[in-house]
Amino acid sequence: MNAATTTPLQSDVLLPERLGDLTGLNEFGLAGELLSTLIGAVIVGSLILAMTAVAGPWAKRKITASFTDRISINQIGPAGIGIIIADAVRMLSKENIIPENADRPAYDLAPIVIVGSALLGFAVIPMGSGIQLADPEVGLAFAFAVAGIASIGLVMAGYSSGNKYSLLGGLRAVAQNVAYEIPLVVTGMSVVLFAGSLQMSTIVEAQAEPLVDLGVVAIPQWYALVNPFAFVLFLIANFAEVGRNPFDMPEAPAELVAGYQTEYSSVYFVLVYLGEFLHIFLGGAIISTIFLGGPAGPGPAALGIVWFTLKIWGVFFLTQWLRSAVPRVRIDQLIEIGWKGLLVLSFANLGLTAAIVGVIA
Amino acid sequence: MCVRFKLPNVTEMNDWIAIGALALVGVLIPLSMMAVSALLRPSVPETSKRATYESGEVPTGGTRVRFNIQYYMVALLFLVFDIETVLLFPWAVVYLDAIESDAVSLLDILGPMVLFVAILLAGLAWAWRNGAVQWAQTPRQVDTERNRP
Repeated sequence: MNAATTTPLQSDVLLPERLGDLTGLNEFGLAGELLSTLIGAVIVGSLILAMTAVAGPWAKRKITASFTDRISINQIGPAGIGIIIADAVRMLSKENIIPENADRPAYDLAPIVIVGSALLGFAVIPMGSGIQLADPEVGLAFAFAVAGIASIGLVMAGYSSGNKYSLLGGLRAVAQNVAYEIPLVVTGMSVVLFAGSLQMSTIVEAQAEPLVDLGVVAIPQWYALVNPFAFVLFLIANFAEVGRNPFDMPEAPAELVAGYQTEYSSVYFVLVYLGEFLHIFLGGAIISTIFLGGPAGPGPAALGIVWFTLKIWGVFFLTQWLRSAVPRVRIDQLIEIGWKGLLVLSFANLGLTAAIVGVIA
Repeated sequence: MCVRFKLPNVTEMNDWIAIGALALVGVLIPLSMMAVSALLRPSVPETSKRATYESGEVPTGGTRVRFNIQYYMVALLFLVFDIETVLLFPWAVVYLDAIESDAVSLLDILGPMVLFVAILLAGLAWAWRNGAVQWAQTPRQVDTERNRP
């Protein structure tokens, strides 16, 4: 871990500027800068999309199959990885059936809102190896705010489908999101107390300092190790936020068919489904950044993206593990866990953290 | 802790341009997927296909069903706490600096926020006691369950 703590985790140069230098676009003034910024955005977008493409059609099935002692997909390509392309072609070439009661503009816009909001959150995430699109001072607040936009997309999808299952699924999604948004943000705030900043790069740098120095290895000051209680609270609230087991009430296949995505078919279904995975990864990215040291890890700083990818895949794996291992809670239990349990615990955590930080400082 | 007001400089502006660029990409990706799909997919319109899905049955009644009043109650509660988190953000950012600068005592910076959160939690306790965050049962239902042999 020494190497990671001695070399700076990331340069101050953000991705657009670096691209501008590499391609020589910076010499063309404002137009060149705008173009390099756009290229940077396309790179970040494609990176996340590629990860989601591996996770959705392939990794999810493989993981679930291992938990249930099945073989799962193995026909196309090595370990069935070709299913990603096969599924993409299959889903995109399905007929798009618009239900008769659909509210047209909202029904069509909802998938865009769900996907766009999740992608936008990645703008402020430092992914290591110099891949960070923007680093505003309000980084963490921005990430939370953008992730919250998804609720609007879910309500739009649920209400505009003109289906009872969809309506109830959309309402549940929002009730769940609002119940767990507060514990999520308040627990995230206890990290801000340590770091003294909302800027993502500052939060990551603050975690690079050693917590315990054992001579050979220095255990870094990752906030998951400094405050494990907050980490667990944040994980639970995050699973509810992204609607994963045991909190997958909005979809609840046994009760609501598929919740807000019941009436979606073809490319719209792909987008809604993609949006869910993007939100799992965005949640994982926020967890990795504020609790697990972001791109920090042994080896040179250039390996940052590898460590970062490993960490968010770790969170993804955990969601799939819970999906196979934990039963779903009921809607009344869900609301009570949120408002009576996590909310109170998160405020207790914030108060205690503030008191401890205050006494130590 | 001094308070500074400054105009955003060029690098800060660049941040928001980059975020705007990703927002553009985030809209263009779904749109391009829709365009590709529009080229690939068949279109065989048929009225029965477009019927509302109700597990294969003939759809009955309107789709704007009445739903539980609790959705409204928790949304109200959320508004209160959400505005509070907005207030917590700047407080959490300046907290460490304020203590380290020795300009204010711990009690001065922690006390007001604890009091503020305590008032809100008292509100939550009241809502809790009145069943606003309890989903399923009204007091009457609870009573009938108790009286059940």
